[in-house]
Amino acid sequence: MRTNQADDELMAEVARLVNVLDPPPPGLVERTQFAVALDDLDRHVELEIAQWADTRPLAGVRGGLPGTITFFVGDLTVMVNVTRTGERQRIDGWLVPAGAHGVEVRVAEHGSAVTTADEGGRFVLTEVPRGTTQLLVRMNAEQSRTVVTPTVDL
Amino acid sequence: MVAARNGDREAFDVLVADLTPLVWHVARGSGLDRTTAEDVVQTVWLALLRHLDRLTEPRALAGWLITTTRREANRVHHRAGGTVELSAEMAEQTPTTDPSPEHEVLRTERDRALWSAFHQLSQRCQELLRLTVLAGRAEYRTVAEALHMPHGSIGPTRGRCLNNLRSLYNGDSGS
Repeated sequence: MRTNQADDELMAEVARLVNVLDPPPPGLVERTQFAVALDDLDRHVELEIAQWADTRPLAGVRGGLPGTITFFVGDLTVMVNVTRTGERQRIDGWLVPAGAHGVEVRVAEHGSAVTTADEGGRFVLTEVPRGTTQLLVRMNAEQSRTVVTPTVDL
Repeated sequence: MVAARNGDREAFDVLVADLTPLVWHVARGSGLDRTTAEDVVQTVWLALLRHLDRLTEPRALAGWLITTTRREANRVHHRAGGTVELSAEMAEQTPTTDPSPEHEVLRTERDRALWSAFHQLSQRCQELLRLTVLAGRAEYRTVAEALHMPHGSIGPTRGRCLNNLRSLYNGDSGS
């Protein structure tokens, strides 16, 4: 018969291991605070949260290597290709289904860059600073439906 | 939370700072790897932006966060078609991005064996133990409600999970 004291001691060890070995990643709070600090948020905007596809290539990007990453929500899929240009980078994107949607790239502590996709759904942003990055897509350039991603370190 | 609902960004940031550890451990307790768990944490807070109006009880926030995180974790599992790494993750396989290298932190064989045993527990036990670790921040009752458990059964269930952990640990170390 185990005593409560033995349980409490084991629980304390589990707590120590969980807190020491699996704490929230450094900066997660700050990245989350950045992600939710959306300027145009009001009650009339339908906010949709996209999901990054396949975390494994993404993990490579997060490790510092440019490449292609994809996010999606509902029927919208957006492919983003990142190319280093010196200290900055170029972002080539392609969204499906195509449409002249507004695209915003927010980089923490660097403001944001805005463009509009062409009829084929393609968009380009150059000289984008590197850092904690969030993408927004405003469907049909209206403010009524905005797709937003979790941050990614580019 | 009331201030945050009225559009006070600083108040919302305080909520994020205070409750992100809770959301993190629920996501990890649901079996998500660290990268996916981070996305889920941000997704849950973005979702709260949409739902803040509908949360009338400040006390309900922790429960809403736990429930939403579990649902989102399941959705990610489902979408990924099972390719997202599940609970098989062992101490040896924790990502190299971990802030604390194992060889420094897992100082003793006992720690390593216990951490390894912890990851062999059922998902439900891992989740429950992680949540009760946070019991100082999230009330026991909130944990029980979010896990759809009667309040009184948390203690006995925790006891069973700890017994399972003990067995796994003893089997692991051969003692």
